[in-house]
Amino acid sequence: MTAEGNAQILDRGYRRFEGRRSGVWGAIRSTAWHSTRSVLGLGRKARHKVAPVLVIIVAMFPAVVFVGFAAFLGGDEFVRDALEGVIPEFSELPRQSLAAIVLFTGLVAPEALVRDRRDGMLSLYLSTPLTRPTYMLAKVMSVGGLIALVVLVPTMIYLIGLTFASLGPDGFGDWLVVLARIVVSGTLASLLYALVSMGAASITDRRAFASLSVILTMLGTLTVIQVLVEGADLSLNWRLLDPVNMPLEMLARMFGDLGEYPELSTERVYAANAGWAAASSGLLWWRYRKAGS
Amino acid sequence: MVRHDVRVSVIAASDVSMVFGTHRALDSLTLEVPPGVTGLVGANGAGKTTLMSIVLGLRAPTNGSVSVLGLDPLRQGAQLRSMVGYGPERNVFPDDMPASDFVKHLAEVRGMPRSEARTRASDALWLVGLGEERFRALGTMSTGQRQRVKLAQAIAADPSLVLLDEPTDGLDPVQRDEMLNLIRQISSEYQIDVMLSSHLLEEVERICDNVVALDAGKLIAQGRLADLVGDVEGITLELAEIDDVPGSIDAVAARLRAAGLTVAHEEGLARMEVLGASSDDIADAVRDAVADSHARVRRIEQRRRKLEDLFEAAEA
Repeated sequence: MTAEGNAQILDRGYRRFEGRRSGVWGAIRSTAWHSTRSVLGLGRKARHKVAPVLVIIVAMFPAVVFVGFAAFLGGDEFVRDALEGVIPEFSELPRQSLAAIVLFTGLVAPEALVRDRRDGMLSLYLSTPLTRPTYMLAKVMSVGGLIALVVLVPTMIYLIGLTFASLGPDGFGDWLVVLARIVVSGTLASLLYALVSMGAASITDRRAFASLSVILTMLGTLTVIQVLVEGADLSLNWRLLDPVNMPLEMLARMFGDLGEYPELSTERVYAANAGWAAASSGLLWWRYRKAGS
Repeated sequence: MVRHDVRVSVIAASDVSMVFGTHRALDSLTLEVPPGVTGLVGANGAGKTTLMSIVLGLRAPTNGSVSVLGLDPLRQGAQLRSMVGYGPERNVFPDDMPASDFVKHLAEVRGMPRSEARTRASDALWLVGLGEERFRALGTMSTGQRQRVKLAQAIAADPSLVLLDEPTDGLDPVQRDEMLNLIRQISSEYQIDVMLSSHLLEEVERICDNVVALDAGKLIAQGRLADLVGDVEGITLELAEIDDVPGSIDAVAARLRAAGLTVAHEEGLARMEVLGASSDDIADAVRDAVADSHARVRRIEQRRRKLEDLFEAAEA
């Protein structure tokens, strides 16, 4: 009999699964990864990839430019010494991409949250091992991880680039300390931006309005505070209510720098960030306490 | 994993009430759902979806307790929901997501390893008849195809119990038949218990082993379908009058009553229900009464109780 004569369609039918299920953490991981892919447009049409990729490139631009300068001009010791005074500190680099960070938060949080509310995925998620808090944890991980792409990753690239250009920290021990500071402060700042933007995005089920809400929360508050402090000569403490600059101010303080607003005490900066985190978490809890049921 | 052939009850509820403000959505429900396909029937607003959400552990009942697959939905909700597939009533999905990605993702969230989820998503979509269409975006699918995708995602993670909320909603008669056959197949061939909610009583009568009937939050009947509906004592009779013998139908009713039988008949109507000692005796009496009254038989059949009768009895 020929091989063709033996050919038959394989019908696997429906099979039992006897293996171990991944449980709640598996559900959180899977939801976070799915959300991340969705926001970046992976597995979707090309037009969904354009905006996030463009903003990420813009956010990386300062780090790449400074590293490029350092690589091309840093060969000479005299130039290298001169560059050390010109190129930004590690704690200052995220501020170079502040516009891209704000824009990115306006893209990421609405895409991650609003889609699930509109297309029924939220109620399906709640029929799985996920609960509202664990679903929200998955979203914070996703949005925080994505925002880290524009807050944390450029600084990592910057550190690695400067290290290769002999402009990095002195010695391996110092290098590790700087790396740890970049990772911890960048992660915290990303989480803060994630919480604030998610809180602002949660107030509506329309993606465009959610983006507007995030941008208004960020830039609207910033503008009002600028007017109050600089125009109306109110106390500098009003700057503590600024959700755009306070995460980066906290990041700078974690490097031991005075940051953009040295008149504000470090304790107050930390407290302001904790307040934003608590207020945003509270708003999220309130908006999701009955959603999807 | 416990399968339905060895378990006594899939869902057990004791004195469950659910109150939203002043509205009592469920009122002291005590029920036992045995293995197999169970129809949760009732009009819109009867409390079906509320009961399903309590079964899934998404809502805490105001009063009473529930056990599903031997687990407490509130305390062991995550564990329970990894063993339960759910097909919501809502027909809205991520439009740009291919069906295979959608089913695979939900299988992963329900605990399947990634490679297993991919294979099972594909298998489930083939099973529901969407094998060739599995890479199509959900937004391009018809209502019937979307209902099948909902079923596929509910069974892909090998659940012990599947809850389907109005699974035939929006389907044409042919699609509805196919969907009902699939649901029956899932239970009988793959040993997965199914609870489906529906307000269409005839489809529940077609495929369900058990019934839970709700009316305005109250339990009006529960048990094996065979015990609740089917042939009962008596005959249903539909007569036609002959033009030159007016009043012959009322005469038939009168003769049957005179013969000692119970007759449910409104004067002037062609239909009547005749109850008595045995169907054979009733048939003989009907034959004689019709012949003597010069009426004409249009239809005669064994009396049959339908689910609809349960609701009518409850209303009465």
